Amino acid sequence: MRKADDLLDDAALDALFASVRANPQLPSTAVMNRLYDAALAAQPVQRPDLLPLPVNRDARREAPWRRAMAQLLEAIGGWPALAGLATAGVAGLWIGFNPPQALTVWTGPGDLTMLAPYDLSLLDEEG
Amino acid sequence: MAFDADTADTDEALLAAYATGDARAAFVLTQRLAPRVFGHALRLTGNRADAEDITQEALLRLWRLAPDWRPGEAKITTWLYRVTGNLCIDRARARKPTVALDAVAEPADDAPHAAARLQDTARMMALQAALADLPERQRQAVVLRHIEGLGNPEIARIMDMNVEAVESLTARGKRALSAALAGRREELGYAEG
Repeated sequence: MRKADDLLDDAALDALFASVRANPQLPSTAVMNRLYDAALAAQPVQRPDLLPLPVNRDARREAPWRRAMAQLLEAIGGWPALAGLATAGVAGLWIGFNPPQALTVWTGPGDLTMLAPYDLSLLDEEG
Repeated sequence: MAFDADTADTDEALLAAYATGDARAAFVLTQRLAPRVFGHALRLTGNRADAEDITQEALLRLWRLAPDWRPGEAKITTWLYRVTGNLCIDRARARKPTVALDAVAEPADDAPHAAARLQDTARMMALQAALADLPERQRQAVVLRHIEGLGNPEIARIMDMNVEAVESLTARGKRALSAALAGRREELGYAEG
C-alpha cells in the first residue's frame, strides 16, 4: 500500500484538472479556416443562396455608399478633421454675408487709394 | 468574433441545416465542435499535428454522415468523442505516443501575469506527461471525466462499456496520476505549508 506522501492528494489533483480546464488548447486560426473550408467542400448540397457569413457581420449590412463615406472620412483624418472642416465652412459663410471692415479693403470695391502708398514704395525700390 | 457560434440552435438542428446546404450551419458547427474535438485529441495524443489531423478526419466523418443522421438517437458530441477516441487509439498503435511538450502552447513572455501563466504551463505539461504514461483506455476515461467534465453514463456510451467499468477505470487512472505527480508537488505549486 502506498503512503500518503507517495500520492498527490485529491484536492491538488482536482486543482490541476481545473487549471487545465481553464486553459483549453485551441486549434490555430489557420487550422479553423481549413476545417471550415473542408466542411463546405464536404457539404452534400451546395446552396449559393445560403452563402457563408462574412468575417464581420456588420460589414455585410453596410451599404456601398456608407462604406465609401467611411473610407473618405478615414482619408481626411476622421471625425476631428471633419469637425474642423465644418467650422471653417461656417466661418467662411459668415464672412461672406457679413464681411468685417478690415477685409473689405481686400475683397470689396472699397477705396483703392489706400493701397497707393504700398504700390509707390514698391516702385521706388525697383527704380 | 461577431459570429453566431453561440446561437441557441442545437447541434442536431444545425447538422440538418448543414445537410441541406446551409453554409452558416457549416460555420457554426465548425466553430462549436472543432475546438472540443481538437482539445480532446490533443490530450489523448500529446501531439498538435496528430490532433489537427484527427480533428479533420472526425469532422469529415460527421459531414459525410449528416444526411443520414437520425435525430434523437445519440448526441453529436458523444458520437464525436467516440470517433475521436478511436482515431487516437488507432494512431497510437501505429506510433508510440510522444511526450507532451508539444501539447501545451508557450505562454506569452510579456503577459501581465507571466508567473501565473508559467505555473499553469508547468502544470499542464506535467499532467500531459503523466497522462501519456497511462494505458489508453484509462487515459481516455480520465480525460473525459476530469478534463472534458462528462458524466459517467455518457463516458460509458462513448467508450462502449458499463458505468461500473468507467468508474473503475477513472479511479485507477486518477490514482496513477496522483502517484506520478507526487514527486512534483513543489514544482507544481502544491507544496504544503
